[in-house]
Amino acid sequence: MSAVLRWVGGLAWRWLDRVDLPLLAGLVAIMLLSLAVQASAAEGEWRPVAAQAVRFGVGLAALLVLSRLSPVTLRQWTPLAYLGSLALLGLVFAFGSGRSADLWLNLGVFYLQPGELLKLSVPMMVAWFLHEARLPPGWTTLGISAAIIGLPVGLTILQPDLGTGLLVGASGAFAIFLAGIAWWRIGLFAGLGIAALPVGWQFLMPYQKDRILTFLDPESDPLGAGWNIIQSKIAIGSGGLSGKGWGQGTQAHLDFLPEHTTDFVFSVYAEEFGWLGVLLLLALYLFVVARSLQLAARARDTYGRLLAGALALTFSVYVIVNAGMVAGFLPVVGVPMPLLSYGGTSAVSLLAGFGIVMAAGAHRRSWGG
Amino acid sequence: MRRWRSRPLRHPVAESEQFRRRALLAGVGVGVALLALALGYGRLQLLLHEHYATRSDDNRIRLDPIVPARGLIFDRNGVLLADNAPAYRLDIVAERVDDMPALIAALRERVAISDDELRRFEAARKGARRFKPVTLKSKLDEHEIARLAVDRHRFPGVEVVPYLTRRYPFGDLAAHIVGYVGRIDQDDVDAMEARGESRFTALPHIGKTGLERYYEARLRGDVGHQEVETNVENRPLRVLRRHEARPGEDLHLSIDIRLQQAMVEAFDGQHGAAVAIDPRSGEILAMVSLPSYDPNLFVGGISFADYRRLNEDVARPLFNRNVLGGFPPGSTLKPFVALAGLEEGLITPTSTVRSTGAFRLPGQAREYRDWRAGGHGVVDLRESLAQSVNTYYFDLALRLGIDRIASDLGRMGFGRPTGVDLAGEARGVLPSRAWKQGRLRQPWFPGETVIAGIGQGYWVVTPLQLAQGTAMLAGDGWLRRPHLVRATQAGFGAPRVPVPQPAPQRVVADAAHLAAVNDGLVATMHGPTGTGQRAAAGAWYRMAGKTGTAQRVGRRGTERLDPNALPYHLRHQALFVGFAPAEAPTIALALVVEHGGSGSGAAAPVARRILDAWMGPPPAAAPAAEPASEAVPP
Repeated sequence: MSAVLRWVGGLAWRWLDRVDLPLLAGLVAIMLLSLAVQASAAEGEWRPVAAQAVRFGVGLAALLVLSRLSPVTLRQWTPLAYLGSLALLGLVFAFGSGRSADLWLNLGVFYLQPGELLKLSVPMMVAWFLHEARLPPGWTTLGISAAIIGLPVGLTILQPDLGTGLLVGASGAFAIFLAGIAWWRIGLFAGLGIAALPVGWQFLMPYQKDRILTFLDPESDPLGAGWNIIQSKIAIGSGGLSGKGWGQGTQAHLDFLPEHTTDFVFSVYAEEFGWLGVLLLLALYLFVVARSLQLAARARDTYGRLLAGALALTFSVYVIVNAGMVAGFLPVVGVPMPLLSYGGTSAVSLLAGFGIVMAAGAHRRSWGG
Repeated sequence: MRRWRSRPLRHPVAESEQFRRRALLAGVGVGVALLALALGYGRLQLLLHEHYATRSDDNRIRLDPIVPARGLIFDRNGVLLADNAPAYRLDIVAERVDDMPALIAALRERVAISDDELRRFEAARKGARRFKPVTLKSKLDEHEIARLAVDRHRFPGVEVVPYLTRRYPFGDLAAHIVGYVGRIDQDDVDAMEARGESRFTALPHIGKTGLERYYEARLRGDVGHQEVETNVENRPLRVLRRHEARPGEDLHLSIDIRLQQAMVEAFDGQHGAAVAIDPRSGEILAMVSLPSYDPNLFVGGISFADYRRLNEDVARPLFNRNVLGGFPPGSTLKPFVALAGLEEGLITPTSTVRSTGAFRLPGQAREYRDWRAGGHGVVDLRESLAQSVNTYYFDLALRLGIDRIASDLGRMGFGRPTGVDLAGEARGVLPSRAWKQGRLRQPWFPGETVIAGIGQGYWVVTPLQLAQGTAMLAGDGWLRRPHLVRATQAGFGAPRVPVPQPAPQRVVADAAHLAAVNDGLVATMHGPTGTGQRAAAGAWYRMAGKTGTAQRVGRRGTERLDPNALPYHLRHQALFVGFAPAEAPTIALALVVEHGGSGSGAAAPVARRILDAWMGPPPAAAPAAEPASEAVPP
């Protein structure tokens, strides 16, 4: 009996030996909070909560598998992964389905969003490329990196999915940043970017322009475009210090808050758990990001370092953009709150990303096997 | 290219250090951003908490309108003409629906939804405020309600709402009086909001025509409201505060629906219009405009096909000829011209005029003819009316002159709205120098005065103006405002409040003048030479009347009240005015039969049937020997 237990325990331990337990604990804590909010939002329906739990299970499995990959193997497969996700993106253009934009690819059993795959494969490809290049990067290196990033980002924005496009672009840019791009070059790019803003405005879809204008003055059209932001702010503000309590958020439950299980789930959370809850969740997110950066710094090679670091920072962008948008600090872009929002591909790809982070920063526990 | 492929000069330690610095910097940046967010949330949740908490409560507490029952409409004997009936409608709150086409498709499997209804719904949705229910179908039958109840949970945003709809039990019989209500459209909403009455947009209906429109403000009552705490599905949980609605007031009409029915039957399928007025009060006893239409079609929103059929019908069933229509009065105007002549002292009951069959203005070649070739010989006032002698009135009109015709007949109610309680009343045309100058920019010609004397030329009257004038003749020379509503009543059991009427105006100075005219009108019906004697033969009571035939209206200068109204019914209008019983009139009547031929042949028989219905059977045949005046309906 005890032998069997020891065998099972040993097996589990071996499977877990590449897993970074503090990071895993932080992620699991966030996921538990997510299930709690989703259960509240589901109003007694168990199906959505179970579905979310299953997705987390799948994501954790992916995390375990990826964490066991050797960084070298991962690096070898990187170009293939990149080209594969680009091909999927092309397929979406041809056969995609989705509510307002062609974002999803129906695979029969589930919908795949190639945008989510790109969030992994683009920083992988950039890291793969920079791994071979001389650092800090010069113009040639930067030019090729920009092409690696620009092609999928451009296609994603054309879909049109501005939010995913910007996040994919950011993940690649973070890899370049961490590779040590000179500050004067950063300044140059920032200046060029600001100069290009008026031109970019011309290319935005009307609804995207609406969102930005609404962000600037939400109360100008309280029953129209400003509705989401106003209702979201009411939800957050009415939560107060300690919140209305689990399941007591009136804003979401009375249907005033749109998208209250997906993009605006953080408003529901803030309404029900208050500022203290917000502090707790933001602290958990900060911990996850910091721990991931720490693991990245421990990586043995440039590829692992840049990839893990880029993934960690991309994750932080999710948090900052989403928390900023639902509170009206930033314009509304379709960015979910990582691990908190309801949705499949996003949770799985995020957890897979943390698997890669753990694989890159793998260090055998000295007291392990 | 080759440089990086050959991996020259790498410094692993330097790269690692570089990464650490950048990672640390980025980590700090993330920390600062998250701290800023935490502070931002703190501002919303701590400093501004009160503000947002209030707004959140406002959200949870819904202000629901309480819809009052619309006032009922009764005839003079308490017969219901407009009723409220419980009904169920299908409303949709578009904001709660994820996939509208799918929902519509699913609903169509359970409920019959026509393309008309769908189009109307889509149009209404565009103007509707957020979270305001929009009606998709205004009347569900029992089976549809049952089918929806089974699947209700599958249709968030769909509501089956009980309400009171309007019903007109007599259908087309009183359509032009009662009018109809319809759904509140975007124009109504805009008008209400402009008046600061947007709470009334919660009502299911608004009066569109007839009394329903004229008395809208009294019939609708006042909308109340209640503060409702709502649950998850936005369904009311409990009522926090209630401000009751005030039900609409009931209307008690002067209409006798039985006489109304008799009028329609008297026309026997012919087109035209008729108004009967109680000369003692100005109360309208019956009023028909034929053909009519079924007002029930409009209540829930009329279908495009039905509306087109009614609207494009050349017989114009939607058009109330009595108040909107214009007719040349023809010879029915003669009693009024005669009265003016008596009042002005130009004729006496015994003064005579010789009719030779043709009348000429001095120095002009044009002949103005009598209807009988060779003329009627020497006639006095009585015979001029009984035989409808044109020459008598050509002569009188010339002596009166157009100015006195205009002012004297204007005093008798012609050329201006009667003030009846219906919207959009036409004023007709009272010919005068000023009118012609204003309208046609031309001076007045004497020949026009001649034909004005027999109700031809520029004259246009509404049947209601004729009836009002006839009631004046029957009612001792008092001009009274014709009206449809006698009293209002604020709910069952409340006292009936009479609708105040303007004081009647005395328009005849000498009662003997009136008696002389009425003597001629009796002779028209009962005298040996009277144009109406065939129609009056065998009546147990005595009546007074005047026939008229308007064969054409002067094409130049006719005031086109409604351009679409004229072409079809311009020719051969048969007219009749009259009252009964002649000694103590209880009813005054004016009617027009379109394309009816002559007044004596077509209009007078219709009038006889109407008057017979009003007077009832002769007293001898009645079970108890009641006096005639009591045999009439109250």
